[in-house]
Amino acid sequence: MLSTKERLNADVTVRTKALVGAKPILSKRRVDILLAIAVTAIIAVTALFLLFPVVVTVLMAFDARDYIGPFPPTELSTRWFGKLLEDAYIWAGFRTSLLLAIATTAAAAAMGALAALAISWMSPRWRDFVTTMFLSPLVLPGVIIGFGLLMFFAAFNQVPVFLKLFAGHLIITLPFTIRMTLVGLAGISQTLREAALSLGANERQVFFTVTLPLAKNGIAAGAIFAFAASMDDLTISLFMSDFQTYTLPLALTTLIKSSFDLTIAAAAVALMGLTIVLLIVLDSVLGLERAMGHGTNRIR
Amino acid sequence: MNVLELKDVTKKYGGFTAVENVSLELEPGKVLSLLGPSGCGKTTTLRIIAGFAAPDGGTVQIAGEDVGQLKPYERNVGLLFQDYALFPHMTVAQNVAYGMRYRGTPAAAIPSRVKQMLSLVQLAGMEARYPSQLSGGQQQRVALARALATDPKIVLLDEPLSALDAKLRLELRIELKEILRSVGATTIVVTHDQEEALSLGDEVVIMHAGKIVQRGAPTQIYQSPASKLVAEFVGRSNWFQATRGSSSIAGFTSYVTSDGVEIRAKSPPSDRDGRVNLCVRPEHIELMDSAVTEAPRDADHNSIAGVVLDVASLGPDVHVVVELPGKARFLAIRKNVRKIPGLAPGQCVRVLFSASDVLVF
Repeated sequence: MLSTKERLNADVTVRTKALVGAKPILSKRRVDILLAIAVTAIIAVTALFLLFPVVVTVLMAFDARDYIGPFPPTELSTRWFGKLLEDAYIWAGFRTSLLLAIATTAAAAAMGALAALAISWMSPRWRDFVTTMFLSPLVLPGVIIGFGLLMFFAAFNQVPVFLKLFAGHLIITLPFTIRMTLVGLAGISQTLREAALSLGANERQVFFTVTLPLAKNGIAAGAIFAFAASMDDLTISLFMSDFQTYTLPLALTTLIKSSFDLTIAAAAVALMGLTIVLLIVLDSVLGLERAMGHGTNRIR
Repeated sequence: MNVLELKDVTKKYGGFTAVENVSLELEPGKVLSLLGPSGCGKTTTLRIIAGFAAPDGGTVQIAGEDVGQLKPYERNVGLLFQDYALFPHMTVAQNVAYGMRYRGTPAAAIPSRVKQMLSLVQLAGMEARYPSQLSGGQQQRVALARALATDPKIVLLDEPLSALDAKLRLELRIELKEILRSVGATTIVVTHDQEEALSLGDEVVIMHAGKIVQRGAPTQIYQSPASKLVAEFVGRSNWFQATRGSSSIAGFTSYVTSDGVEIRAKSPPSDRDGRVNLCVRPEHIELMDSAVTEAPRDADHNSIAGVVLDVASLGPDVHVVVELPGKARFLAIRKNVRKIPGLAPGQCVRVLFSASDVLVF
């Protein structure tokens, strides 16, 4: 009896001989290898392309020159970070953005979860229609939403700017929380609900002991996306802000237009750092894979 | 008193009648199998008993109480789902305790009851595990423990063994039967798997197209199926289309198949004059090498010449396909033992079966 390894070796020898014997110009195996190299190269180029702006921003943030010079920096310093800490304009924007993102996320998560739950109870025909309607802000250009809201709020006197921003951000973040909660709910088997009902729990008890705990990860994932979308939004904020209440992206954009200054690069790096910290915290609390994925509720 | 009584239960979905005038009654401690192909209404019947579907007509009584309008959580019915439906975010102990929380078991009594249930299903010590950490067989036992923990009036098992592999299925089937008997649970098993139905049930109900077509003990269902439908669904069979033959021997009825083969049956002649269907079970057939012996031909024995087409050894049994006159194919199942000489394809054989083993429909 040959061992598995010996048999494998013998097999390889036979196949190699066959290849040598045939001697084609481009063997099947060689085509495979070339293809693998090509795919790897494409992935590498794509990754470089995606990372390039980040790398440039990070390097420029440490530029010692006091004007926006050509890349790469000739000398490094942390002067722009020092300036960032003192910049009241950016800090005010950051404060508004953070408060706005927190408020929006909380509201969008709660409303989105409830909406998704209602949608999941609908008949398939209505479900599709209502889902499409709720998700439409994703495809509607922000300019249109912003302009529409501007016209709408113009009908009232003195609506606080923060409230206007909140309303706008709620519209663009709700699709994320609804979508992710729906994904979470879809992972919950109908038989779990029926099992709980047959064990004596009524609909309300089933919701709190089975549905909600299992949809939790989906809701959390939606909240993460909502937070990111709110922090990132420029278009809606542009329409809703005034000179006193503005968001961080708006402040940064204004800054880049008005002054040739690298504080904006420092701010971007600070934001990146903040995002990484946030992701690490989330990962340790929830498990990022679990929050983003949707296979968490399956047993097998 | 019957634990369960269905009277003329009907359920329609749009124009489709899922269940039609089904009446059933079940005595305490008995196990009843509901067997039928998919779409026969067995699952709808189960859902009506559990309270997930409301009947359009008829009455459902559990322990003498009309439960037709009660919600699932208002009737004490234990359910074992095909996919087990264990709560993935709860431990084994929490799963088993779930029903007790809502069925009024005093909180102080729950831990000891959980322990008792888990030892009943031989999972003592697994309390802190999560369902994802258990094997399929273990998950099923937890689901059973959970369903039995509230001491339900009726236990409903939905395809209880179908998700398990063949070897485990046999083990768990025996165990499941023991557990159900030991707690004296009145049980309905819903399945499309005849082995599961016949082995678990004290009685078997065959359903087809929303109706009950036969009810009887497992052996009775197999040996004397009430119709062609039942015979086809339960067990394997060889079929002949035939008409009444001319020869008459007292106590036998003679038939001639469409290929001109004469077959005798012991049953009294059918009322129908036209075509009948003859059924012979493969394990009732004896095969003899026609070169070696001339088959004895008494009145009770049917003997047909044929040629072996294929021999497949499946371990305990050997399946032999024989070609009969007119290219009809015939399956014979023999025991895989040394004293029965083996057959080879191409060999000429005599197919022998008793007239009392021929079923006429």
